[in-house]
Amino acid sequence: MNTKLKVSEISKIYPGCIANDKVSLEFGSGKIYALLGENGAGKSTLVKILSGVVKPDEGEVFLNDESIKLNSPLDAKKNNIGMVFQHFNLFETLSVFENLSIDSDKKDKELRVLVNDILKKYNFKIDLDIPVLNLSAGQKQKVEIIRCLIRNPKVLIMDEPTSVLTEQETDDLFISLKQFSKDGILIIYITHKLKEVLSLCDEVAVMRKGKVVSVSNTIDEKIESLANKMVGENLNTIKKKINNFKNSEEILKISNLNFKSDDPYETNLNNLNLSLKKGECLGIAGISGNGQNELFQILSGEIIIEGTSIMFRNKEIGKLNPRERREYLMAFSPEDRISQAAVPELKIYENVALNNFKSSNFFEKGLVNEKKIKEHSKKILSNFSVNTDNVELKSQFLSGGNLQKLIIGRELITSPELLVCFNPTWGLDVGAINYIHETLIQINEQGKSSILISTDNDELLKLSDRICVIYKGKLSKIMNADTVTAEKLGILMGGGSID
Amino acid sequence: MSFDLNFIGILIGAIMASSVPLILAASGELIAERSGVLNLGVEGMMIIGAISGFALMVVTDNLFFAVLGSMLSGLILSLIFGLLTQSLLTNHVATGLALTIFGIGMSAMIGKNFVGIPGKEFPLLFLNLKESIPFLGPIFFGHSIILYFAFVLPFLTNYVLKKTKTGLIIRAVGDSPTSASNQGINVTLVRYSCILYGGAMCGLAGAYLSLIYTPQWIENMTGGRGWIALALVVFATWSPIKVLIGALIFGGITILQLHMQAVGLRIPVQLLSALPYIMTIIVLVVISRDSRKIKLNTPTSLGQIFYKEK
Repeated sequence: MNTKLKVSEISKIYPGCIANDKVSLEFGSGKIYALLGENGAGKSTLVKILSGVVKPDEGEVFLNDESIKLNSPLDAKKNNIGMVFQHFNLFETLSVFENLSIDSDKKDKELRVLVNDILKKYNFKIDLDIPVLNLSAGQKQKVEIIRCLIRNPKVLIMDEPTSVLTEQETDDLFISLKQFSKDGILIIYITHKLKEVLSLCDEVAVMRKGKVVSVSNTIDEKIESLANKMVGENLNTIKKKINNFKNSEEILKISNLNFKSDDPYETNLNNLNLSLKKGECLGIAGISGNGQNELFQILSGEIIIEGTSIMFRNKEIGKLNPRERREYLMAFSPEDRISQAAVPELKIYENVALNNFKSSNFFEKGLVNEKKIKEHSKKILSNFSVNTDNVELKSQFLSGGNLQKLIIGRELITSPELLVCFNPTWGLDVGAINYIHETLIQINEQGKSSILISTDNDELLKLSDRICVIYKGKLSKIMNADTVTAEKLGILMGGGSID
Repeated sequence: MSFDLNFIGILIGAIMASSVPLILAASGELIAERSGVLNLGVEGMMIIGAISGFALMVVTDNLFFAVLGSMLSGLILSLIFGLLTQSLLTNHVATGLALTIFGIGMSAMIGKNFVGIPGKEFPLLFLNLKESIPFLGPIFFGHSIILYFAFVLPFLTNYVLKKTKTGLIIRAVGDSPTSASNQGINVTLVRYSCILYGGAMCGLAGAYLSLIYTPQWIENMTGGRGWIALALVVFATWSPIKVLIGALIFGGITILQLHMQAVGLRIPVQLLSALPYIMTIIVLVVISRDSRKIKLNTPTSLGQIFYKEK
C-alpha cells in the first residue's frame, strides 16, 4: 500500500521568530527522507505540527490526498503517523510494558504477544518488565519505536535519533529503519548530521530560517554541498595540529579515584587514573550516563571524595570547593548551560559576578562593585563575540550559542591554567560550534591545558591531543589522538575492547 | 485472663477508629500526589468536611445526607484548588496553604451556631458479634461502615494504581506530564479528577471526626490531622499500604500514650504527646529505606505546574 504525505504552505509564527515560513514538501512511502537543518531552522516545529503537538497558523497537511486535521497527538495517532522525539516521551518510573500499554487499546495479553512478535521480527532485545530508567538510551529509543510500530504506522518520523546513540547503536538503528522502509513505512528523518543523510536517506530537504531552501536526491549531494546549503555560507574547516607532550610539565594528576553513589540515577566511578600535561587537551569520550557527570563534578569540586588525591600544579586540591579551585586557576564549563553554568533569570553582568574570585575586586567590604563588573562583562562580550553589548540583558534571552560564548568567556578571561568543559557545543549551530572549537584550540596554543568531556566524537577527534573513553564509570587506556578513529571510539563506547 | 484479652481487643478497636481519618485523608492525597499535584489544603478540606457534615446532620437529621454533604464540600474546596493550580497555573504550595487557612476560618464561622449541640448516634454494624466474641469481637465488629471502607481503601488504592489502566495513567501523568500529553492523555483532566477525589476523601475524613469519632462540633477539631496525613504520604513513599501502617502506628501510639498519661507515669506529658509523631516518622523512615523503590514510587513531577504547548 502506498502512502503519500504532503504538507502545504505551513506557517508557524512565534513571538519574535518565524519558525515555519510557507513550508511545502511531499513524501511517498518506500523512501527515507531527510529533513536537514541547523538548530532553529524550523525542523522541530514542522515535526511537532505533523505529530499534532503544535498547531500551525496557516497551511494544511494531506495524507493520501485527503486533508487531515492534526489538533492533538491523538489525531496523529489516528492517522497512523508515528513519532519518535529527540527527548524521549517515556515514563521513567514505569516498566517498559506499562509504557507500551498506556496508549494501546489492546488487552495486556494480546499486546504482549504483539510486542514479542515485533521484538523477534526486528531482533530487538529488551526486558519488558524492568523500569525504563534502567535502560540505555538506545534501548529507550527502541521502546519509543516499538510504541509506534504497535499501531501499524504509515508514517514514522524520527527527530535527531542518533544524538544519544553509540556508533554501533546507530548502525543497528539504520538497519531497522531500512527494514521499516522496505515494509512500506514512510520515514522522515530529522537531523543536522550530514554523514547520516548520505548513508541512510534517499531524498533530502534542507531547511534554513524556517524555509525550505532545497530538495534533492542524496545521490547528487556531497557533505560539502549539503553543509553549505544548510549554513548558507562557506565554512572553513579547522583541524588541530597534534603535539607531543612527552617532555612537558605535568599539570594535573589523579590517581585511584573511586566514587560510589547512593543515587540509582548516578554512576559509580571505578579506579580512575589520569594525568594532563601543560598545553594539552585530553578528550574523554563516552555515551552520556557513563559517569561523565560525576567525573565533571569531581573535577570541579561539586563532589568532594574523602581521601582522593587530585594534584594540580603540584598542589593537593582534592578537598577544595569550586570557588577555591578557581582561585588556583582552574575553570569549568558545565554541560547544562541554563541551570548549572548560568542563572537564566539574572542579567549578564550578574552572571559574570557569580563566578567571583579574590583578584577581581568585584566585591568590596561586602558591597557589589557594579561598575567594575559591568566593565569586565563588556570586555567578555566583545572579546568572545557574543551577539550583544547589553550587559543588563537577562541571560535567558541569549541563544544557546551566545550563552555558551559568554560562559566560556567568563571562564577564560582570567587566564586559567586548566579548563574543564563538558559537551561545550551541545545543541549549538554550526557557526557557534566553529567559534567554540577555535577558542578551545587557541587556549592550548597559549600553553593552557584543557579536559574535554564530550559525547560528540567528531569534536573529540578534532580537538584532543589524547583521547580515552569512559564506560560504566571506568576509563579506557588513554590513546594518542592520531592513532584513534571514530570506529575505535565506537567500540570502546559500547563496552568492547581493542588492542 | 479473658477479661484482659478482651480489654486488649477493645484497645485495638479504639486504635483502628482513631486512625480512620488519617487513612482516608492520606489515601485521597496520595492519589492527587501520584498524579503530580501537591495539595497542602488537606487540613482545610478535612475541617470543612467536618463542619458541613455536622451542620447537615443537625439541619436535615439525616446521616446519609450529612456524609454525602461533607464529601461534596471537600470536593468543592478542592475544585477551587484545581481551578487555581491547573487552569490558572498558580503555585501548588501557596495555593494549598491558602486553602487550609481558608478552610479553618470558614469552618469556625459556620460552626459558631453549632457549638454545644449534641451529635446523633451513628449506626454501628455487628454490635451483637462484638459483645459475644471475646478479643476478636471488639477488633472486627461494632464499627461504622466508614471504618470498614477506610480499611479496604488502601488495598483498593494499591490495586487501582498497580493493576488498572486508570492507575497507570495517573502514575504516568505524575511521572512526566509532558510525555503523557504528547501521548494524547488529557493531563489537566486527569489531575482535576485526582484533586477532586482527594478533596472528597478529605471531606469524608472530616465527617468521620464530627459524626462518629467525637460526635459534636468543636472549633479546630481536626487538630493537625490533615498535616499528619500529608506527612504520612511522603514518609510512606507514596505506597498506600505503608500509609495504612503509618496511620495505625500513629493512632496506636496516640491511644497508648493517653493510657500512659492516665496511669500517671513519671514522663512529662509533652514528651508523651510528641511520641506518636516521632515514632511514626521513625518507623516509616525505617521501612522505606530502599532508595531504588523511593525513586520508582516518587511522582517525579510532584508540585510542578503543567501547561500545554500551543
